[in-house]
Amino acid sequence: MSGDVSMADVSVGNTEEIAVEDDKMTILPGMASDGSAASFKIKDEDHTLGNTLRYMIMKNPDVEFCGYSIPHPNDNHMHLRIQTYGEITAIEALQKGLRDLVDVCDVVENKFRDEYNKGDYVQEEIA
Amino acid sequence: MNRESFVPPSAGVSRQNGVRYLCASCAAQVSLTKGEPVRCKECGHRVLYKERSRRVIQFEAR
Amino acid sequence: MVDIHRDYVSNVSSTDFPGNFPGEDHAWDLEKFKSNFNVSISQLTERTSNFDLIGIDTSFANAFRRIMIAEVPSVAIEKVFIEQNTSVIQDEVLASRLGLVPLLVNPDSLDWMVDPLHLNEAHNVENTVAFSLQVKCERNSDGTIKNENVYAKDLKFVPFEGQTISPEPTVAYEDILIAKLRPGQEISLTCWAILGVGSDHAKFSPVATASYRLMPQISILKDIEGEDAIKFQKCFPNGVVDIVDGKPKVVDPRKDTVSREVLRHPEFEGKVKLGRRRDHFIFNIESTGAMTPAEIFLKSVAALREKATVLQSCKLE
Repeated sequence: MSGDVSMADVSVGNTEEIAVEDDKMTILPGMASDGSAASFKIKDEDHTLGNTLRYMIMKNPDVEFCGYSIPHPNDNHMHLRIQTYGEITAIEALQKGLRDLVDVCDVVENKFRDEYNKGDYVQEEIA
Repeated sequence: MNRESFVPPSAGVSRQNGVRYLCASCAAQVSLTKGEPVRCKECGHRVLYKERSRRVIQFEAR
Repeated sequence: MVDIHRDYVSNVSSTDFPGNFPGEDHAWDLEKFKSNFNVSISQLTERTSNFDLIGIDTSFANAFRRIMIAEVPSVAIEKVFIEQNTSVIQDEVLASRLGLVPLLVNPDSLDWMVDPLHLNEAHNVENTVAFSLQVKCERNSDGTIKNENVYAKDLKFVPFEGQTISPEPTVAYEDILIAKLRPGQEISLTCWAILGVGSDHAKFSPVATASYRLMPQISILKDIEGEDAIKFQKCFPNGVVDIVDGKPKVVDPRKDTVSREVLRHPEFEGKVKLGRRRDHFIFNIESTGAMTPAEIFLKSVAALREKATVLQSCKLE
C-alpha cells in the first residue's frame, strides 16, 4: 500500500516509515516574504485534527494569529493559517504545534493507562 | 468469482430431469419436461411460477 | 466556567491563550499540563465505560470522541453472496441488515484491503473473515414450525483454507433477529467481513456511541432556608443537593442533568449560579463488543498522535 496512509498502524511505538502522499500538506500561495505568515492546505483532515492543532499553535506566545477552516464540506481538505510576530516562521510554529500535540497524546495515554492499571473502578455493568 | 467464468445454461437442459415450477394456488413443486401440458400435478391449476434460480448474486452490505 | 442562564449559555469559548489576559501566562507548558491533567475512571467493563478527563481542552476531548466514532477500525460484513433467498426480506435489505450485525473479531488480526468495492480478487486469508447462513424453515411432524426466526447466532464462521484466526470469529449478540421465515422458505448465503472505519459506513463504528458532557457546577450565592431549601433540593435530581443544618449543600454535582429547573423559580433569583466546568469531561463509551472501551479510547489517542506524526513527516515546498 505505498503512497497510502495506513490507519492500521496505530500501535504505540510504531517505528515503520510512514508513507505519505506528496500533497498531504501544501503551502497556499501568498506566503509572507519573511515566512512569518502562511496558509497551509491539508488533505483528508477535518475538525478532528484542525481544531486540536489550532489550539496547540495558539498556545505559542510567538503566534499572532492561527485559524483553520473547511472551505466546503464536500471537499475533503482543510486550510490552516498561521501568522507570527516575526520571531519565528509560520512553518516553525506549525512544527512546534505538532510536537506539542504529540506530547499531549502521550500524557493522556500514559495517565489513562496508569488509572486503568490501578483498577480503582466499578467493573460490573450498572443496570 | 470473475465475470468471464460465467457460462449460460445450455439448450440440453430440457432432456434432463425437468424444470421445477411452483403452482400458483397450492404452492406444490411441479417438475415439467418439454412437451408436457402445463398443469399442476396436485390441483390442476394452470398457472405455474418458475422457482428462484440458485445462481449466486453478490451484494454490498451497505 | 461556562455560565448557564435561564434562556442562554455564555462564556463558552476557551480563552487560555497567551495575550488574552495581560499579566497572565498561558503559553504552552508541558509540565504544567502534566501536573494539572487527570484521568479518573468511574466504571470500566467489557462493554461500557464512564471516565473523566480533567484539565484538557475541548478540542482534544472532541477529537477523541470523533475518532472513536469514525476512525477506529473494526470488522463488519461487506460482501454478501446470496445463493437462495425465498423469504419476504428482499436480497438487498437482507444484505444491509447483515452488514449492521456487530461481529466479535479482533480488528488487529486482519490486514487492510485495497478498494474492496471493486476488487473481489483482492480478498485473501489475511484480510477477510467469512460467515455462512443456511436456514430452511420447515413444518415438523407434530405441526410446530422449525427455524421460523433467523437470528444472528445462525451466522457460522467458515474459515478459508489455511486461515488461522484466534479467537474464533463470532457475532457479538446472538439474539439479533435478522429475518422471519415461513415453512418452505429458505435463506442460503455466504458473507465476507473486512476492516473498515465508521467514516466510510456506520457499520464499521466500534462504539454504539461515544459521548461526553461537561461537569456541572452549582454555586449557591446567598442563603436559602426553610421551605425554600427543600424546594431547592427538589429542583435537582436525587443525590445532588443535601440539606445540612436546614441549608442546602451541593454534594454530588456529577449526578445533575442541568435541567435548569432552579432558574424557573423567582424565589431563587440571584441566589444560585449554574454552570459547567470547561475543562472537565465526563466520557461515556459503549462498545459494540469487538473491543473494550479502554482499548477503543487508547486507539483513538494513538490515531490522533498518528495524524500529527504524519504531518510532521510531510515535505513542504
